Amino acid sequence: MKFETVIGLEVHVEMATASKIFCSCSAKFGAEQNDHVCPACCGMPGMLPIVNKKVVDLGMTAGMMLNCHINRTTTFDKKSYYYPDLPCSYQTTQWFAPVAVNGTVEIETANGKKAIRIKQIHMEEDAGKLVHDDWTDTSLVDFNRTSVPLIEIVSQPDLSSAEEVVAYLERLRSLLRFAKVSDCRMEQGSMRCDVNLSVRPEGSDKLGVRTEMKNMNSLSAIVRAIEYETARHIDAIENGTEELVQETRRWDDVKGKSFAMRNKETAGDYRYFPDPNVMPIVIDDAWYDSVKASLPEFPEVKKARYTTELGLSDYDANLLTDSRALCDCFEAALAVCGSAKEAANWLISDCMNLLNRRQMTADQLTVNGTALGQLIKLVADGKVGRGNAKKILEAMFEADLDPAKYAEENGYIVSNDTGLIEKVIKEAIAADPKAVADFKGGKEKALMALFGKCMKQLKGNCDPQVLRTLLIDEINKA
Amino acid sequence: MDKNTLLSLEKVNQLSLTDAQRDAVLAFFAKQEEDMAALNAIDTSNVERMVHVMPILTVVREDVEKKLFTRDELQKGAPETMDGYWQVPRLVE
Repeated sequence: MKFETVIGLEVHVEMATASKIFCSCSAKFGAEQNDHVCPACCGMPGMLPIVNKKVVDLGMTAGMMLNCHINRTTTFDKKSYYYPDLPCSYQTTQWFAPVAVNGTVEIETANGKKAIRIKQIHMEEDAGKLVHDDWTDTSLVDFNRTSVPLIEIVSQPDLSSAEEVVAYLERLRSLLRFAKVSDCRMEQGSMRCDVNLSVRPEGSDKLGVRTEMKNMNSLSAIVRAIEYETARHIDAIENGTEELVQETRRWDDVKGKSFAMRNKETAGDYRYFPDPNVMPIVIDDAWYDSVKASLPEFPEVKKARYTTELGLSDYDANLLTDSRALCDCFEAALAVCGSAKEAANWLISDCMNLLNRRQMTADQLTVNGTALGQLIKLVADGKVGRGNAKKILEAMFEADLDPAKYAEENGYIVSNDTGLIEKVIKEAIAADPKAVADFKGGKEKALMALFGKCMKQLKGNCDPQVLRTLLIDEINKA
Repeated sequence: MDKNTLLSLEKVNQLSLTDAQRDAVLAFFAKQEEDMAALNAIDTSNVERMVHVMPILTVVREDVEKKLFTRDELQKGAPETMDGYWQVPRLVE
């Protein structure tokens, strides 16, 4: 018998806000334990939540990016469960009226394009973190992550393979990063995925027994977990190796196996009810329109524009549109320098090289695009040599500076003093008669050696064309 | 509400009721279900959904980070702490 896998995903994404969802504590990752806490996010009696407006903005943004209907009246509800990383013993989430519903995301795999339906996007608070201490045989609680804002994106069970799941997650990540909803860094837990999986005979419309694997945070682990779990289900159905039950399972990537954690809870177990502490949020037309107006151009639309209108290669356009920060910088630089190819080259080669050396991602690029455009123009106008422009760019990574002023202050402006250039050339020729003879004998490389020595002596502040012409003239005289 | 549902709720709420208490709870809910059935019989298709009992909307705040408390202040009343963590009985075997 042939089987097909049915997969639905619940993807949790930490939103890019400065503060938490219901209090003003920092939402930043990586602080010392319990440094970002207050009575509200520690669940102390009497504290009331106050909703962070940006969370609603980003919830709407995510909904619009995923083609959802935005609920103009959206409400928060309490989801009850007991665990020490949840100080109130309930999570404030959205159940009855989530911010966005009924969307679609288009994915593309080797089998072609496919639309994945989005059931809903809801806003909620994250839980804290637990550390289990073997020495004292106790558990240690860190509430820094408690109340950090999340959106949970719930898909319909439209996915049928690990390949489709990876394509879906990559598409989500690209859209959400582009819209600056989240940095979606799986390694830091700002994007996590619960995989709901079942198996059924091919062509059947009845769903099989569903298991859930929680908090997966690497694409490779998700692929392995789906492949393992699919094989386990098929083995159980075909060979009766075990009885499949609806449950939550833990994926152990080292052992390459999933293990039963607990019976899967149903909605009734969580006793959802409207949170009386948070009044309904009504999104009026002005609020809705302001978020709609802030949406970015979709990456694929940008890519098509970069290739057709600006003449960039597919390769360059792909690299640039992988990151919103690169696109923003590129477009600002282009507006100043007027050369798409030059702006793309500076970003793809020089800026990416500097980012790599700092172990930063493209999304962490902070170079001012307008200043980059000014720098490119200084080079194009022959006012700064390319070598020195690279030094200026490096300084621009450290501070927001005016490249022309910086070039002036640091002696990087190309010299027009032909007297000085000729003096340097004469000295170079006198010091290396062999190179002169070699060049006259037809060795082009000998010219480059002399050129390099002169340029070094001039500290890079010379138009390369001018230097080359004067150098050849002087050699011919010698 | 049947007995199995009640037993499940007892489990998730960490309660242990006597048989007499269970009978009382089931009788209570049976009456509630009767009342709900009477309410459900009313045609409310023309009535707008009530999202909250209070006719007021929430107040939102701007996304500004503030540090209002220190860890030490918050942990003053904690029964046990260790290295800045709240310390609780071990949860995972």
